[in-house]
Amino acid sequence: MTTITVSGREESRGKIALYVAGLVLSVIVFAVPLLFALFRAFQPATVIQSAPSISTFFHLTLQNFAHLGTEAHLGASILNSAIVAVTTAVLTAVLSTLAGYGFARFRFRISNWLFALIIVTMMVPFQAILTPLYLQLNSMHLTNSRLGLVLFYTTVNLPFGVFVMRNAFESIPAELEDSGFVDGAGTLRMLVSVLRPLILPGIATAALYAFLASWTEFLGALTFLTNAKLYTLPLALVNVQQGAYGQIDFGLLAAGAVVAMIPCIVLYVALQRYYVAGLASGAVKG
Amino acid sequence: MTTLSTRQEPAVGASGRQTRSSAPRSRARTGSLTHPRGIGIALVLPAVAFVTVFVLAPLVVAVYISLTDFPLIGSYHFIGIANYVSALTDPEFLHSLLYTLIYTAIVTAPILVLGYVLAVLVRRRRRATALLRTILFIPYVVGLTTLSFFLVLEAQPGSGAVNIVLRALHLTNGQTAWLVSGPLATGLICTLVVWAASGLTMVLVMSGMQGIPAEVYESAAMDGASWWQAERRITVPLLRRTILLSLIISVIGSFLAFNQFFILTQGGPGIATTTTVLHIYNTAFVQLQLGAASAESVLLIIVIAIITAVQFWLLRESDGTGTRERTTRSEAAKGAQA
Repeated sequence: MTTITVSGREESRGKIALYVAGLVLSVIVFAVPLLFALFRAFQPATVIQSAPSISTFFHLTLQNFAHLGTEAHLGASILNSAIVAVTTAVLTAVLSTLAGYGFARFRFRISNWLFALIIVTMMVPFQAILTPLYLQLNSMHLTNSRLGLVLFYTTVNLPFGVFVMRNAFESIPAELEDSGFVDGAGTLRMLVSVLRPLILPGIATAALYAFLASWTEFLGALTFLTNAKLYTLPLALVNVQQGAYGQIDFGLLAAGAVVAMIPCIVLYVALQRYYVAGLASGAVKG
Repeated sequence: MTTLSTRQEPAVGASGRQTRSSAPRSRARTGSLTHPRGIGIALVLPAVAFVTVFVLAPLVVAVYISLTDFPLIGSYHFIGIANYVSALTDPEFLHSLLYTLIYTAIVTAPILVLGYVLAVLVRRRRRATALLRTILFIPYVVGLTTLSFFLVLEAQPGSGAVNIVLRALHLTNGQTAWLVSGPLATGLICTLVVWAASGLTMVLVMSGMQGIPAEVYESAAMDGASWWQAERRITVPLLRRTILLSLIISVIGSFLAFNQFFILTQGGPGIATTTTVLHIYNTAFVQLQLGAASAESVLLIIVIAIITAVQFWLLRESDGTGTRERTTRSEAAKGAQA
């Protein structure tokens, strides 16, 4: 914003030319590969796997996407990913809201300690505790389970969510709650009817990050799921790539990867301000 | 950072009563009546339980089983630090550490430089900047897992876009089998990662740049400073914290790399592209050596802690006499605006 006024005067021609050149170059380098990936998904597998020739390169088809539906494992894996990611987003949002409210508005002796405890876990990379985590989930009968995966993803996303939600509650003036108490609202009614409109942006941020982080999460799913019926989309795509369902079908792989990509782009573009709010919240800054 | 520490200070050293009295008066009054502490504890308990059960407990368990010969099935015994000794003398584990270090060294500077250049490109609101910012950040949002699947297709000899483009530019004959050669696969994956990750650095650096008051640049321009001088003497010093932050995020991310390597090369050929996390995964879930894998995990956590500490230390060092002149100057510029 402030940078608009960097120079009240007109920009020099050279600077504008430099900007346009950068713009064009960036679009070529950053947008074209993804558009090409999208285009690939409409090519038949035989075309994807052969040297490009003008005669066949632009024969487009929907058959790859039709295969996604008929290939039982892939259809189910898309559903699994959706179930796991949506549930994770909802659970993360609910737990973060409750904890954020508790940390922001309630005073109890170990409050700061517990908050620090949650934030510190943000610095423990889950990749490094995968082995004991596997044992733990196994002993709780939570491996090979969508619920287990949801609980794991929720834990990974909680510290960030709690941080965002605590900030959201702290930015609300205390007087607002006072009037709610005068009306006799309990804790839950206070959250749901008095505070909800004010904390919705925070909830959107927490849920968005949780969804994006779990929708195509790979290592955790690879470790905790061995039953092919429960595979999430990235695991099913690894199977496609390795030819576990028979012939390696690059058309199927391209279409599946596009299905993995689209929700990320749509959600990011639609909810960009909540994403940026998350980056700016300072949670990343620790 | 600052808000965090000021909030915590009273509670750490002093009793709860003092904490309450240091809070705003209205809140102190309502502290017990409208916000009973019991409900407060109940509200935070689920979140605390989650991180305790799924992060802290496994962390403790990791240290415990790293001291045993824990297999997936059957009994186990304490073997002291034998797992650590064998990890540190295991050529494959050491190779994976070295490889991860090299990979991190290759990608870190390009991510920072490209991210910075892109931030300079989009920091001013011009025509189409909003669209451009979105485009530049989308690869990061899509994520390395999905991007790796795309790259599988495009790295194929003869048919993939990487080879087609290189042949069109007369650089290769278009038959390069990228994924079956260690150095070629490393180069390809590094390019992918720099391409995908610089968007995050761009966003972080850009929002840092927007926090610098315009008056600083105006007074610098009045003093006859060139664009390059302003960048070097104002922007970079003022963005030190932001740059450090994005460095730490990118270095830790690189050190934990797994997905793109598993998908594109499975760590091969041989163990040529096996990163540390991939090695640990293989030790635990292919060879089923959970005790050994836990020891390697603990070592990985230590290495990451050291890297973070060193980066903080390096940036603190450069804050010494060398930059003093610069900072006082920008402080003066800031003062002039007030």
